[in-house]
Amino acid sequence: MFNNSRRGFMRASAGATLAALAGNQARLLAGPKIEPRADSVILLWMAGGMAQTETFDPKKFTPYETGLASDKVLSTFPSIDTVVDNIKISQGLENIAKIMDRGTLIRSHRVGDLGFILHSRHQYHWHTGYAPPQSVAAPHMGAVISRTLGPRNPDLPAFVDIGQNIEIGGESDGLKAFHTAGFLGSEHGPFFITDPRDAASSTRPSEYVGATRFASRYQLYKQLVEASSFQQESLRRSIDNAHRLLNSQAAKAFDLSLEPQKSFDKYNTGRFGQGCLLARRLVEQGARFVEVTSEYIPFRYWDTHENGHTRAAGMKQSIDMPVAQLIRDLEERGLLNRTLVILASEFGRDMICEGKPGQEVKNQVDQPPVMTEPKHYGMHRHFTEAGSVLLFGGGMKRGFLYGKTAEERPCRILENPVTIEDLHATIYHALGIAADTAYDVEKRPFYVTKDGKGKAVMPLFA
Amino acid sequence: MRLAIGLGLSLPLLAQVDFATTIHPILATRCAPCHSGLKPQAGFSVETRESILRSIKPFKPDESVLLRRIKAGQMPPVDGKLTDSQIADVEKWIAKGAPWTNTLPAEPPLWIAPIKPRTPPVPANQMSNPIDKFIADYFARHERPFPDVVDDAQFVRRATLDIWGMVPSPEETKKFIADNDRGRLIDSLLSDRKKYAGHWISFWNDLLRNDQGVNYAGTRKSITPWLKGALENNMPFNEMASALLNPVKPTDPDGFLIGVNWRGDINASQTPFMQAAQNSAQVFLGVNLKCASCHDSFINKYKLQQSYALAAMFADTSDLELVRCDAKTGRHTGPEFLFPEVAEKPASNSLADRRKAAALSFTSPEDGRFTRTLVNRYWQRLFGFGLVPNVDDMDAQPWDDDLLDWLAADFAQHNYDLQYLIRLIMTSRTYGLPAVSEKFPDYTFRGPKLRRLTAEQFSDSLSEMTGEWRVSQSGEKAAYAREWELKPTSLSRAMGRPIRDQVFTTREDAATTLQALELVNGDTLAIVLKRGALRLLGDLPDAPQNLFDSRRMNQGSKPLNIDITGAKQLWLLVDDAGCYDPSRTVAGWINLQVDGKPLAPATGILTTDKVKHEGSIITPVGSLVMYPIEGLTRLTGAVGVDDGARSSDINPNVRFFVFTEKPDLERLLRVSGDPPTVLPKPSRDPKVLIDQLYWEALSRRPNPREAAVAMKLLTKDGKVTQGGLEDLIWSLVMHPEFQYVQ
Repeated sequence: MFNNSRRGFMRASAGATLAALAGNQARLLAGPKIEPRADSVILLWMAGGMAQTETFDPKKFTPYETGLASDKVLSTFPSIDTVVDNIKISQGLENIAKIMDRGTLIRSHRVGDLGFILHSRHQYHWHTGYAPPQSVAAPHMGAVISRTLGPRNPDLPAFVDIGQNIEIGGESDGLKAFHTAGFLGSEHGPFFITDPRDAASSTRPSEYVGATRFASRYQLYKQLVEASSFQQESLRRSIDNAHRLLNSQAAKAFDLSLEPQKSFDKYNTGRFGQGCLLARRLVEQGARFVEVTSEYIPFRYWDTHENGHTRAAGMKQSIDMPVAQLIRDLEERGLLNRTLVILASEFGRDMICEGKPGQEVKNQVDQPPVMTEPKHYGMHRHFTEAGSVLLFGGGMKRGFLYGKTAEERPCRILENPVTIEDLHATIYHALGIAADTAYDVEKRPFYVTKDGKGKAVMPLFA
Repeated sequence: MRLAIGLGLSLPLLAQVDFATTIHPILATRCAPCHSGLKPQAGFSVETRESILRSIKPFKPDESVLLRRIKAGQMPPVDGKLTDSQIADVEKWIAKGAPWTNTLPAEPPLWIAPIKPRTPPVPANQMSNPIDKFIADYFARHERPFPDVVDDAQFVRRATLDIWGMVPSPEETKKFIADNDRGRLIDSLLSDRKKYAGHWISFWNDLLRNDQGVNYAGTRKSITPWLKGALENNMPFNEMASALLNPVKPTDPDGFLIGVNWRGDINASQTPFMQAAQNSAQVFLGVNLKCASCHDSFINKYKLQQSYALAAMFADTSDLELVRCDAKTGRHTGPEFLFPEVAEKPASNSLADRRKAAALSFTSPEDGRFTRTLVNRYWQRLFGFGLVPNVDDMDAQPWDDDLLDWLAADFAQHNYDLQYLIRLIMTSRTYGLPAVSEKFPDYTFRGPKLRRLTAEQFSDSLSEMTGEWRVSQSGEKAAYAREWELKPTSLSRAMGRPIRDQVFTTREDAATTLQALELVNGDTLAIVLKRGALRLLGDLPDAPQNLFDSRRMNQGSKPLNIDITGAKQLWLLVDDAGCYDPSRTVAGWINLQVDGKPLAPATGILTTDKVKHEGSIITPVGSLVMYPIEGLTRLTGAVGVDDGARSSDINPNVRFFVFTEKPDLERLLRVSGDPPTVLPKPSRDPKVLIDQLYWEALSRRPNPREAAVAMKLLTKDGKVTQGGLEDLIWSLVMHPEFQYVQ
């Protein structure tokens, strides 16, 4: 079974691993080699499956009529012009239409083919680059970036996750499975702000303690520990760091009440809008990776199983103003060049097609062939062939359209498909991280894009 | 040089290419799967510099066949061409003379881990415990004296944390110090099987991927009742493994083999039976088959075929086609155990016979790997560092193989008795040595590693100190619970309780800022501290009992008819029991009457089961309303969830309660049974409290300086304040001396 030379080969990389071995610390196998174009990332996550034909890839508009055949409908909204000649998007996104000249629109994002549609599983796939289950705990993209690049400002958590309640019933465990730093270690995990309205309180002394007691408790704690003969530097340092962070100037970014009313109002379409504002404030103070989600809860928000038209209108209303304002504010502050803003979703939607065209999966929505009431009108099925992605800043082209889908159902991708691996490689490339950057876990390399094979889509870069 | 410039790589060529971090990963992942081992493809091996020179000319990239092949995309033949940057790296590396770094200064002796059991003679010296005899020899070989053991107070704290998973009470500590018999202490701790199981179950849950309240969209099955029983009854380890590998009885733990599955298509290396192969090999044999589930491993000696053969012992069919990196190979295998020398052949191809054979092979008395793996895990658990340092790589060399082999054989001879093993280890002087900070990579045993409390030890110790235990609630029952019985909180996650989607064999113990934020400012801890302080002061009132509990409702109505004689207040609570959208859930109280008269003015119309109830009291989910009453005897009416809320995106789920006193929102149900420990006596005397908390937290009394600071924390104008007590408890549980086992 054994052979000496093989052992010799394994030993070549053993020296450095050995130190990490017992502590289970993941070791970076190959460092960044690319000139970074961006320092920060804001991921605007359209959780639940954003219908591309109702947002950034509008098709022929067919108004509702009782008795209308479902398969006649591709878009339930008319399209509108944007400031870029060759880009039209869906009605209800008028503010984003005005800033399309600052960004790149990908219409050919093709997510994984995982068989039976399960939102949390596709979200796991998108956020980690790997489809579950995995034999090691795969880290969230935010954790990879936090681990690879470190915090920009040590007084802020490197990875902030805004807007997702993690206890949502049946799919909670699916969400928790990827909202984690996995094998990279919890140090790099997300700092959760479930509701941006409460963000300030998460960086203020707990209401159970109060500011005065909080301060004196810490002073006396230090005296108490110093009076003992047993010390442990790493623990003390972590407690000190937490106090420093909570009292830092940077932490004031979490307090939305400090934002001028006029500016606050421009974002305030609800939790998502306020999340965008919080993301801007955090990036201004030096956050590394911020995700703002429209929140995934089964059958809510973008997860439109019925009444799709009305609900898509509501969702667009909640994102249009704050997304546009975020881009404008970042630009005005000179931050857009070094901040990559991504708007993406786990898949698109269609009224008829479930999964990928031609690959039968179980239909999860009863869409009648003929619509008899308005609640039948909308994109209710899960379409994994094509979705839209917006990219702003971070070295991306401006006013650029990439990829094309068919005008007729099943609206397949006609050119330039962009897979999750390639999209991730593009994001990592913008940050100066090679797609085959790997971490050593259980003596194996774990790559930041699947098997290290993602290829950055270079035509997207300016 | 010329070639590289042609590629547009003028400057970087001057940079060094690090073999270990740049070239080795390419060779290991892209070449070694075929070009290594006893029979490398085309007789060409990339394992040594010598062998690779057949295909490489140092300093001459353009004369190197290897580079030509990879540039042309001929190699590697699968999984696509190397990236341009990888090719450039290989080119630079060759141009630099193909340096081959061996990062270890000296070649360690080769080690081939034995499979069969071995009973080395116990060294003859003056020690009495056999472990101490081996370690005394070890120290002698390393020319070190056998150090003195820790004092009694440290020992009782360490032992109680290791057997019960919590700090000892002051009474227990003082009793032991007076009694001063370490063997008797260990026996007494082990004999409380409930507390013992309440600690060790977390270790097994990590290992067996079992968790509380986990509800995947796909299949997953809890094995908690079986596991708890197995530990409480001290089931022999070989019987435990047999039940896990070959569940036959309805009460057997079939969840282990089922694994963690998600709906939809699964990667070939992660099918339920491949998971079963990976998990059983890792847990019971210390073998990592994760690599070899996709291709012949390049980190250990295991082959793709061996993974599939082990999987075939658990799969629906006895014949499996090997899938290499998600591509079918056309090669097939039947069931085989990893170690042919101890394998039991299945009597037939039926799943029942294959599983039976698997259980017999793993647990075979001739399978010394099975027992070595287990005793090494327990050693790691109790010393913080394994005899084989990586507990999941039992092919590696132990730092004392005689001790490992003897322990494993002795464990088998003692009927695989886990409590025997713990007792043997914990009654040794070796276990009692002072904790040290370990040094890598030249590890020399000096004593147990300084260990951090686990998430469960932290929470349970805090509850032990304050008497405030949280409550687990399932349906109509509520019971006091230790941390492991509750769903993870943001605090327990931050403190290292893993998401058990994979096997976890060690815990993260680093102190991180994110964790400290939770400890310093998290609500989970703040609430426990507050309730704990109230309880220690004797100020936490008993939770009032509810008079009515609707249980969980998602539609329709339920009648309400209760005796309220003597009540002065009525408290009506609509609790959120899992709505997707509580704000749009419409629920309320229908036609509430006290002694036949309406309780309150009508607030709206509730429609349940298509029946309209005018004059209902509709209150938002989560709301609590109070009505003062006097001299009334009966409350009648109904509770209901409005039909209009029954849509998939609202998913109403509410629970109605009626109380006659202000309810304790943490205790809506009557808690049955006793708390896990005897509750400390309440006191308002600052000296008593300080002394008691120091004994609880650190198993010692405070020194004068500490007592003075503690007094400042605890009191205002000489009186104990509730906030002060919370702060003192907080300061003690944040104390390094509390969070580490010395």
